[in-house]
Amino acid sequence: MKKQKKQTTLRTRDALSGLAFLSPWLIGLLVFTLIPIGYSLVMSISRVKFTVNGMELTILGAQWFEEIFTKDANFLPALLDTVEFIAFSTPMILVASVILALLLNKVTKGRGFFRALFFFPVVVISGPVMSKLIGNDATMLIQANDYGVYQIIGNLPGVIATPLQYIFDNVVLILWYSGVQILIILAGLQKINKPIYEAASIDGASGWQIFWKITFPHLKPMILLSGIYTVVDLAGMPSNALAKLVKNNLTRLDAPYSYSAAISWLYSLVELVLLGITFLLLKERKEKHDD
Amino acid sequence: MAKYKGITVNPAKFHRSQIKFYIILLPMIVLALLPLIYIISTAFKPIEELFIYPPAFFVKNPTMANFRKLFGAAENTAFPMSLYLFNSIIVTVAVVFLGCLISLMAAYALSKRKFKGRKTIFKANQLALMFVGSMLGIPRYLVINALGLTDTFWVNVIPLLIMPTGVFLIKQFIDDVPDSLIEAARIDGAGEFRILTRVVFPVIKPAMATVAILFFQSAWNSVEASNMYINTEGYKTFAYYMNVLSSAGNGVAGRGMAAAASLIVVVPNIVLFVIMQSRVMDTMARSGIK
Repeated sequence: MKKQKKQTTLRTRDALSGLAFLSPWLIGLLVFTLIPIGYSLVMSISRVKFTVNGMELTILGAQWFEEIFTKDANFLPALLDTVEFIAFSTPMILVASVILALLLNKVTKGRGFFRALFFFPVVVISGPVMSKLIGNDATMLIQANDYGVYQIIGNLPGVIATPLQYIFDNVVLILWYSGVQILIILAGLQKINKPIYEAASIDGASGWQIFWKITFPHLKPMILLSGIYTVVDLAGMPSNALAKLVKNNLTRLDAPYSYSAAISWLYSLVELVLLGITFLLLKERKEKHDD
Repeated sequence: MAKYKGITVNPAKFHRSQIKFYIILLPMIVLALLPLIYIISTAFKPIEELFIYPPAFFVKNPTMANFRKLFGAAENTAFPMSLYLFNSIIVTVAVVFLGCLISLMAAYALSKRKFKGRKTIFKANQLALMFVGSMLGIPRYLVINALGLTDTFWVNVIPLLIMPTGVFLIKQFIDDVPDSLIEAARIDGAGEFRILTRVVFPVIKPAMATVAILFFQSAWNSVEASNMYINTEGYKTFAYYMNVLSSAGNGVAGRGMAAAASLIVVVPNIVLFVIMQSRVMDTMARSGIK
């Protein structure tokens, strides 16, 4: 009896302290994010009117959504553009961050310097600066078509050439968006126990085998985390075709806010699907190797 | 034994076999730095060079004209630049410190405390993570207005404290902290807050450093609050001020001023990062949770 009582108090204490820790952030999340998100859902199904007393909402139903799919000529191209951008860039950023993290993990001289330089873009990229750079096409500055590489790629079959060309076109952008991911994966690399590598190399495993059988499975959770971060990061870029569409429609005269809200919700759904795919591709399989 | 050197994952010493890695890394670094070099170069370009198409990468006759124009425009504003700078420093320090603390506490609770609704709350965080930022502007404005925060200094700080990405990242790292470590600290009589600051925090320092930098970014570069919620000129921030100044000159000529303004805004980021980097990156390297 006594024991049971103690257990409940422990559990309550656990819950209470948890809630106490959580509350400042939870209140903030509710007030500044969740309530606005909910509000935008209401706006997406209503007609918004501005009166002297402020905003007036009349519930319409799915009218805006219908309009998006049936009348809006910009929506589908923008959607495809955005999805293509995310679908192409995410795997490349992930591969680049894994490779760079592996390399960074192997150098000793100037290790800090090298790591800092790759994280540097994250520090430099900031709303105003980045938008100006992208506006000036600075990221495309290296005119890849001047180089022999380009001609070689041009001769390859389309299936291989298109993604390769994309990589060369966006190499700077990829490097710029890999900073946080590199750090996450580096942290993952540090956690792998050395004895496993030693055992593998004593058993005669090659570097390639070691990567796929030991490093990669251990890194998978970190790669998943980076994948989610990347998708969210890219989808949140204000330079996205869809994000631009949302912005351009904000002040549409016959449907202020509401039309944009509807697009935003569709955008979030698409992002959810993309995240779901990322998760399915990168999640840990059930058969776990024993550590 | 020498044979195994090639595959050591965290080598302690420099070895000739590492040279090949440097050879791959160096060009990558140059690529990663190109846009920054471009913006520096643009900031120092005289007006004739700004008109060249396609834009030349390097400046030929560097000049301070863009900066002079920018500061010339600054003299015509009602408040001195130092006021905006001071505002930004306060805002940034407050956001980084409070934001990290709030996120750490929340992530710890979500990861290690068991209570009802924990999973739902985490899902809500993910929803917030995904939602298009530009759409939230208007509803958020209404909420801030209803709370009476409009046109106060703290509206610069408060909305920025909630960063779903931060909580998400920190939580994933705390998930890896063994329960036994926390349990041990508790048995030794440490209170919850002490466990958080003395046990959990040191172990997840790399994640915290990353999140701190993200908070710094969002605060230092924030123009949203100054644009939307604040009317009193004296409460506005440095990034906003620079944005306004650089938009004074438009078109091609404005590009040089914009680059100059961007450079001024980004310099503190760089300085802070260089100071922090050795500590941040070093803890990064050593914080293996075994």
